[in-house]
Amino acid sequence: MLLELENVTIQTFDQQRIIVNNVSFGVKEGSIHSIIGPNGSGKSTLAYAIMGLSNYKLTSGKIKFEGQDITNKTITERAQLGITLAWQEPARIEGLSVAKYISLGIKEKSKIREKIKNVLKMVNLEPEKYYNRCIDDSLSGGERKRIELAAAIAMQPRLIILDEPDSGLDVIITEDFWNIFNKIKDLTMTVCLITHREDIGMVADYGTLLWRGEHLITDEFPKVMLQYCKKAGLKEFCKRALFKNGVKCFDDDYIDKIFEGVDL
Amino acid sequence: MTDSVYPEEILQSLEDYNIDIRDFLPGHGNGAKLLLDFNKISGIEQVEGIVLKGREIKNGIVADVIIKEGTHHEEPIHLCFGVNKESGIQEIFPRIIAEDNTDVKIQAHCSFPKANGLIHKMYGHFYIGKNCNFIYSETHYHGENSGALVAPVAYMYVGENSTFENNFNLTKGTPGIVKIMIDIYAMRNSTIRSNIRAFGKSNKDSIRIRDSIFLEGENAKSLIKMKAAARGGGEVLMYGITEGNAPHCNGHVECNEIVLGKGSICRARPFIRATDPTSSVSHEASLGRFPQKWLDELQAKGLTEQEATDILIEAMLRE
Repeated sequence: MLLELENVTIQTFDQQRIIVNNVSFGVKEGSIHSIIGPNGSGKSTLAYAIMGLSNYKLTSGKIKFEGQDITNKTITERAQLGITLAWQEPARIEGLSVAKYISLGIKEKSKIREKIKNVLKMVNLEPEKYYNRCIDDSLSGGERKRIELAAAIAMQPRLIILDEPDSGLDVIITEDFWNIFNKIKDLTMTVCLITHREDIGMVADYGTLLWRGEHLITDEFPKVMLQYCKKAGLKEFCKRALFKNGVKCFDDDYIDKIFEGVDL
Repeated sequence: MTDSVYPEEILQSLEDYNIDIRDFLPGHGNGAKLLLDFNKISGIEQVEGIVLKGREIKNGIVADVIIKEGTHHEEPIHLCFGVNKESGIQEIFPRIIAEDNTDVKIQAHCSFPKANGLIHKMYGHFYIGKNCNFIYSETHYHGENSGALVAPVAYMYVGENSTFENNFNLTKGTPGIVKIMIDIYAMRNSTIRSNIRAFGKSNKDSIRIRDSIFLEGENAKSLIKMKAAARGGGEVLMYGITEGNAPHCNGHVECNEIVLGKGSICRARPFIRATDPTSSVSHEASLGRFPQKWLDELQAKGLTEQEATDILIEAMLRE
């Protein structure tokens, strides 16, 4: 396992409420692993805790990366080990150019212009148009998220956490993001994808379902999705939507039995 | 004039701003130029439609820049006020007149690389006529000894339907004591944008900038953006003033300042006043550190907190 979470519990800052409760699962190297669950289930909190944000310290438990305990490592140390995060709502910083922003995480600075242009192309942004622009309010939400993704890819991290890359985007742009994920898949980096959309999540190999801060299942992604639908009472949706590579993941009969609680 | 006639120290002094003063010397480019070496005029080059005249006086010069009606120039007019001495007094009295229907830029460089007891003063009067598009940018470098006292005062009149942009940049080197006062009077349908950037880096640096815009004409609009940082005991006061004195005028003042390290002080005083019931004037100010989320985002790229802060300061103070 590249990343392992062992009995991770995270409380609110004032310790009045548990956000993530005793969660354990692992992320296999080279896989796309989706963490799914409804709003408020603790997905983003878990992402921030893995990245090591100071406001998301573990109340108890351990996080291991390549077998090494990183629970007490800072965000910078984790990034230097090869973990990064593409934020759900990345900041807009006046005066910071797209090129400079992307270059920050590139360790080997030779041919840097070419590297920046390549990642911009990868997220379907024209380098000529975006290279010298600033990551400020002049960018749309979709453009800013693509740049965030480009900056994370440019780091060539071992583990990239994508926090709801699809949120706030319209259907056409979401479709485009699907294509981008498929490109990332070819880069042999491990992806931890936080989402509550099944169509984005279906690019995943494995999944973890969180429900009100509790870990329900970690398995192959379609199986996790099936449990999610069952938990949410969405049988018809499950029959209609669970496809992988254009092939239906489960027969309708099988889904019926799962929803009836038959032990298979 | 050859490059070597002008002091090399001054020619090189704005490299940190990515400005090469050589590009603006007489014989280079197509813009009008006036160069001052301490209190001596060391070069003047005029171009069609732009009159540049200067007269040396005790401790400085009186200069006229007149842009004739209808003149449009892509290439900026270059004013270089350099002092390659440690101490002395340089006083500049410029009168800048842009006649109606003109479209020009002025790039002023004030460079005092050896300043250590140097006084630079300016009393500027700007008259911008009707239907003009005028950009005035002033970049300062006061050396590394916090040894300058710089006190410019400027009165600017912006005529009907004109657009005026004022850019002031003092973000490299150590500023010393800086006291700047700018009054801009905006007439009917004019649009003003004023961008002020300053960085105090030592306990000998004290920067006070008062930037005032008086919206005197109907539908006049303005935006003041003041950005500053103080570290190492430096002190910065940004005083952004906007008055709405005419029907349907609209102004906004924005001050953002970052304090780094103990002993440094940032102060912001956005001051707004309205005397016309149909005017709209607003302000916002923030002082302190960068939002934690911004730092987290940069640190997630492998930067330390210090490196992330430096990148954010550079971005904030970028012109």
